[in-house]
Amino acid sequence: MPEGHSPVNEFVNKLKKRNIEGSKATAKLTAELLRSFISQQRLPQHNQAAALIDAVKAVGEKFIAASPVELAVGNVVRRVLHIIREEDLSLTTDAVDGLSLSDESDNEDDVEQNDHPFLSASAVAAASRNALRPPSLQTLLEDAPHSEAAPHPSSSEGDSEGITKSADKNSTTRKLKHNVIEAVNEFIQEISTCHEQIAEQAIEHIHQNEVILTLGSSRTVLEFLCAAKEKKRSFRVFVAEGAPRFQGHSLAKELASRGLQTTVITDSAVFAMISRVNMVIVGAHAVMANGGVIAPVGLNMVALAAQRHAVPFVVLAGIHKLCPLYPHNPEVLLNELKSPSELLDFGEFSDCLDFGSGTGSPLLHVINPAFDYVQPNLVSLFITDTGGHNPSYMYRLIADYYSADDIVVRPKSAS
Amino acid sequence: MWHRSASFILEKRQQQPHNDIVTNLDSGPQSPTSTAMAAENPNPNISLYYQTRAAHHAVVTSDWLAQAQAAVGQHPDGVVSENYVSSGGEENKVLSVVEMFKNWRKQPELAEAVAAIRALASVIRSSQATTMMELEIELKTAADALKSWDTTSISLTAGCDLFMRYVTRTTALDHENFNSAKSRLIERAEKFGEISDKARRIIAMLSQDFILDGCTILVHGFSRVVLEILRTAAQNKKHFRVFCTEGRPDRTGLRLSNELSQLDVPVKLLIDSAVAYSMDEVDMVFVGADGVVESGGIINMMGTYQIALIAKSLNKPVYVAAESYKFARMYPLDQKDMVPALRNIEFGVPVPEKVEVETSARDYTPPQFLTLLFTDLGVLTPSVVSDELIHLYL
Repeated sequence: MPEGHSPVNEFVNKLKKRNIEGSKATAKLTAELLRSFISQQRLPQHNQAAALIDAVKAVGEKFIAASPVELAVGNVVRRVLHIIREEDLSLTTDAVDGLSLSDESDNEDDVEQNDHPFLSASAVAAASRNALRPPSLQTLLEDAPHSEAAPHPSSSEGDSEGITKSADKNSTTRKLKHNVIEAVNEFIQEISTCHEQIAEQAIEHIHQNEVILTLGSSRTVLEFLCAAKEKKRSFRVFVAEGAPRFQGHSLAKELASRGLQTTVITDSAVFAMISRVNMVIVGAHAVMANGGVIAPVGLNMVALAAQRHAVPFVVLAGIHKLCPLYPHNPEVLLNELKSPSELLDFGEFSDCLDFGSGTGSPLLHVINPAFDYVQPNLVSLFITDTGGHNPSYMYRLIADYYSADDIVVRPKSAS
Repeated sequence: MWHRSASFILEKRQQQPHNDIVTNLDSGPQSPTSTAMAAENPNPNISLYYQTRAAHHAVVTSDWLAQAQAAVGQHPDGVVSENYVSSGGEENKVLSVVEMFKNWRKQPELAEAVAAIRALASVIRSSQATTMMELEIELKTAADALKSWDTTSISLTAGCDLFMRYVTRTTALDHENFNSAKSRLIERAEKFGEISDKARRIIAMLSQDFILDGCTILVHGFSRVVLEILRTAAQNKKHFRVFCTEGRPDRTGLRLSNELSQLDVPVKLLIDSAVAYSMDEVDMVFVGADGVVESGGIINMMGTYQIALIAKSLNKPVYVAAESYKFARMYPLDQKDMVPALRNIEFGVPVPEKVEVETSARDYTPPQFLTLLFTDLGVLTPSVVSDELIHLYL
């Protein structure tokens, strides 16, 4: 695939060098890149969707490999694959309806041929619908025969139709790309407006004279609180500074400039203050399939403190942050260790941190993880652009937005 | 404030006249008033399911085994032929389903549900029906007979229900002629054994990521699925060690530790009471399940609930490995809310007459103590289970 080669590689490099900050920006860029990639794809006449899916998987795998911790990239890739499958399915069912109707009108003398295409068409539709859903108890006993039966009728259909149908086929297959690109555009739109949609729900959750606690800085939280302020709710905000980057400071400044009564506290003071707080509202880096949250470091402590004092712990997350994977070792595998210079000044500590002296291994180690894993039982509510949800409900959203086949993104054949 | 009523005294008084009636029934002549009686358990108080499991997986004493053989072989052929002569061929068919099932079940590698579905497939094969409705009715009778024969086996019930559901749905969809539909059903039923095997492999694959290098796994009971998981992990050269609970009275731990030591996995045996003592060294708990219920909880060998409670209080994850055909439509509200499944327990010394023994073979673990379920439908949290069941049955 010579076209689209260099933008893909550029993006991969950017991801590797961590040049893109924030999951929203990453998600948007990934989606836009995939959209241009799809529009430049030349697809074969038959079995378009499968070819497109393979191509996207090949590119998506590169993206995911370049940034395993930035889960938004994988989410967008899987979402686009799901979109392709959905669009293909809706086109197939439309085509099947059209074909079965025309089948009945033609070929009245050939009764046998009538029966078979009709049956197999519905079987094809059923099979493709089943392929879209994750495996379930319903399909447990059905598996092999349907998938074997499905390709045969489609080929026999092709033979029995003749030239009149091929023209229809051309138009429907051209539609696939068009539909997919439209759907991806909608998706990009969703990503861009996720903050507004979440902020709209602010007044349902923040009431008068409340005290809200947050840690670090999240744009979603900022918009959320300001939306409540616009609707004339009066409340106070405690901002924990979020060492070592101290992003809480900038959030506090923003809030104060919008007219909210703000208090800045250290992370260590969270436990002391939590009993005076009505609600904790935080953003997330990613939400996993079991309802667990990958959040900036320090939030696990806040979640535990909130549970101890029965304070609701509310997480704001756009849908592009929802990841269909189950975390098995998130503290290690989904975490990034950042530079020790954020914690300690090299000049002062250079003798302790020196690799050259003594045994070659310094006595002073500095660990600066970027993320924390919050268990699902500590979260009270997730607020996404589609509304408020329980952590145990996350699997439903995943079934809506992702296909089971795409969870492990690996291209079928080496192209 | 609220004094506990000494209800156990009342229960005992109620049980005594009951026991007299039961013994009368057993000792009386085999009256073929209802032919279904001959197909019932010879000893209704002992759960055949757990007896079979024990025979497969446990280290048992030889005289217990002899006892079990006697109990299973207690269907004297004379009774069966009597009924065959006096009643019609239909009752014979009903009995033969049960016989077939018992034979299949004896194979240690075969899952309960697979045995049940194979038995039902043989019913289809030998059926004289000419329409789908007739066939369905025959199958329903056979399935009900199987279910009532051993009410304590959840996979049996679930397997029968699943197959019946598949039959009714297939007949609705297909317009093909009767014979091809019949052969299709038989073929799918035979294939179910492969599905079950494939299910175990899928579950083993899904759970590999969760077994970290250098971890300690606590296992309770002898589940073939869990053994497959550990076997796959050992083949992938993962370094881990296993704590096996002894699993009285079947002593499943001995059998399991035998298997694991053959795979070169470091194993440590714990007596059941030592679980809390060792729980701080443990990283995760793996159990199988006899059945997964609608709430997302599981029914498994006695002791699972205890271990889950300890694990929860010490913040250790509890992982359940179960195939999807074990999902059952029951919702136990507490430990006693199920069909009692009793089994013989040997203490090695004679127990005085007046002393009662708790002989239940299984317990119910509520969903809040489980972390994740590994099934062939994927990795699920307990709340997904009821969703799946609703999809299937509504």
